[in-house]
Amino acid sequence: MRPPWHSTTLRILTLGGTALLAALIANRLAAPARRLAWRTALPLSPAPAKPPGELERRAPTLPKVPPSAPEPHPQGARPAAAAPATNPAAPPVPEQTRTTSAPITEISSQEAWQAFQAGLPFLDARRSGEFTEGHLPGAWNTPVWEADLDDRLLDFKAQRRPAAGDAIVIYCSGGDCRDSQLLAEKLLAQGYFHLLIYREGYPDWVSRNHPVEKGAR
Amino acid sequence: MRHWLLHPRLTLLVRLTLGLTFLLAALPKLGDPPGLAKTIWAYQLVPAFVLNPMALVLPWLELLCGVALLAGTWVRAAALWVGALLLAFSLALAVNLAQQRPIDCGCFGAAGPRTEAERLADMRWVLLRDLGLLLLVAQVLAATAPRKP
Repeated sequence: MRPPWHSTTLRILTLGGTALLAALIANRLAAPARRLAWRTALPLSPAPAKPPGELERRAPTLPKVPPSAPEPHPQGARPAAAAPATNPAAPPVPEQTRTTSAPITEISSQEAWQAFQAGLPFLDARRSGEFTEGHLPGAWNTPVWEADLDDRLLDFKAQRRPAAGDAIVIYCSGGDCRDSQLLAEKLLAQGYFHLLIYREGYPDWVSRNHPVEKGAR
Repeated sequence: MRHWLLHPRLTLLVRLTLGLTFLLAALPKLGDPPGLAKTIWAYQLVPAFVLNPMALVLPWLELLCGVALLAGTWVRAAALWVGALLLAFSLALAVNLAQQRPIDCGCFGAAGPRTEAERLADMRWVLLRDLGLLLLVAQVLAATAPRKP
């Protein structure tokens, strides 16, 4: 007769194996927004990424916008000062700028607004469901935790064609949200070195009555 | 006393409670593995290469164990899994609580935005709840222990 522990061990292993199999099948069938890559493509350091507020806070190099730009402003379309959707011939950032600014910098609400008016690209690092509910007008939906992040980033690069030194603004949901930081580190690893994190993020944008857009992208 | 603690009706009640808890915990997580991966990452205890497989498999394991406990089949194996999971959850919570790092439990799926104080208070309650559930697991294990010849 088999010892009683034998069958229990077998059952424990069977439960674990079945869960693994079910996860494999379910993840394959899941919609992109619910799918998770088995191997993470994010630069997840074992230690926490620098907590919000402890990032470099040097003055970011934002393009100049007319000082007369009003704020706040009525709800409406993107201001006329905004650049066109594509920016294929963006000149590289001067050498001097590279040495005076950290590759990943935090920007304030005011600076985010200026960047928006200057037509800088905004990447939304939140989940795609949150993006659909509302996002900055013209922002790109790049949810860091979803399996199709790389495809979305490729799409962004193909359409916007940012040069390595072009400023890119990244935001998530403010507070202790670290998704922007993860996305910035990923882009840094890909060679981009002028990444601006709008730390207060979407809730702050909404609270300041800035324009928002709804729907998927 | 021992007679009461191992009474079949008590065991049934405990088994159903554990099963239902794990079933309810599994369902929201099953629908959102990316959200779970983000939650687990916030604990800062799991190495990066384990993170995503864990977020994918854990909800299914909870579901299977919950169903097994509710159905009354493979009760001991399921209870051992549940016990191991609860121990891991409690330990993860305790470590973060000791470091005063406010995180979302993620036990029953993603939570809404809350303040740090609310999170820390929640973590204490969740730790207590997990320890209580561990007592229930101990009861099921004791009641289903193989009898010595």
